[in-house]
Amino acid sequence: MSADAITLSIPREQPYYGVARLVVGGLAARLDLSYEQLEDLQLALASVLEREGYRVGDEVTIRLLVEPGRVGLEVGPLDARVEDDLGREHDGVFLGRLLETLVDDVSLGKDRDGHWLRLEKRVPKARGEPGS
Amino acid sequence: MTVAGGRSDRELLVAYREGGDDEARELLIERHLPLVRSLARRYANRGEPLDDLVQVGSIGLIKAIDRFDLERGVELTTYATPTIIGEIKRYFRDKGWSVRVPRGLQELSLRLSQLVDELTVQLERSPTIAELAEAADVEEEEVLEALESGQAYSAASLSTPAGEEGEPDPLEAIGELEHEYVVSEDRAILEPGLAVLDERERRIIHLRFWVGLTQSQIAQRVGISQMHVSRLIRRALEKLRDEVAPARRPGA
Repeated sequence: MSADAITLSIPREQPYYGVARLVVGGLAARLDLSYEQLEDLQLALASVLEREGYRVGDEVTIRLLVEPGRVGLEVGPLDARVEDDLGREHDGVFLGRLLETLVDDVSLGKDRDGHWLRLEKRVPKARGEPGS
Repeated sequence: MTVAGGRSDRELLVAYREGGDDEARELLIERHLPLVRSLARRYANRGEPLDDLVQVGSIGLIKAIDRFDLERGVELTTYATPTIIGEIKRYFRDKGWSVRVPRGLQELSLRLSQLVDELTVQLERSPTIAELAEAADVEEEEVLEALESGQAYSAASLSTPAGEEGEPDPLEAIGELEHEYVVSEDRAILEPGLAVLDERERRIIHLRFWVGLTQSQIAQRVGISQMHVSRLIRRALEKLRDEVAPARRPGA
């Protein structure tokens, strides 16, 4: 089965981040994620969105990818600082440690617009999916 | 930034930082007040007077001017923006509910806080949104909305009297952390970057991200609700973002 995808582009401003959180929440409800799993995803997303230092342009895009057994979350474009922060151990902000605690897989990609952070969390089968 | 006929930001910064020229500092503050006003306006629809936000943002601007590292090749405005925003956000954090949330949603948010804990014990796992909706006798969308509205509520400060959500005083509870935690405390908790956190926040962050406990495990261990743990974690991370990131931004 191919991934279902939801793409959301919002102004890179605090008041709009709630919209992204609600979309993640709606997805969590559909996938039967637990409250804790939803919290983890939202906190991971906030950790990236709310860092002004990662800002590239006036808009940020969040792609949610739903595949059997996992949900992926791509955020970008982001400034190259995100790469440095992921590599820092025991830094005060410890982005890498934080994300690795909150999700199962963290990776970083790059295109001409900037860096894209991909987060992946294993989840139970969604309601309505075959075998669920 | 250069003002026609005047000195550039860099020249003023050099005069202030290296020559102790206070007039140069005043000029820099005055020159960048429009940036403060512009950033403050972003937060103006959240129930706080714009003038107060400009005043708070100005403190961020002054901090940025005082901390600016001349060796770094960035503009003052680039460096100052996150510091100004950080001050404004901290102001909202200290105010409790940072946006006006309808009473009904506030009540549902508090009710969900209890239900999350009750269902976690009952089900021996974290409940789903559907289970929370059923237990609260509301629609799933209402649960999501209430959870989202809860984001507008800052974690209770350490000085908050005991009894938020009927809980014991978290400070007392955290004093009872088990011995094994104390001995497992590693260097990470002493990391200078975490100095902006108070003792309780450092411990909760340590338990979550170094020891690897889940929110519900921390809640059980510390004796506060899971949602309260969640708020404390969020607040601690916000503090880290506001304090640590702007300070090292020019070197990034």
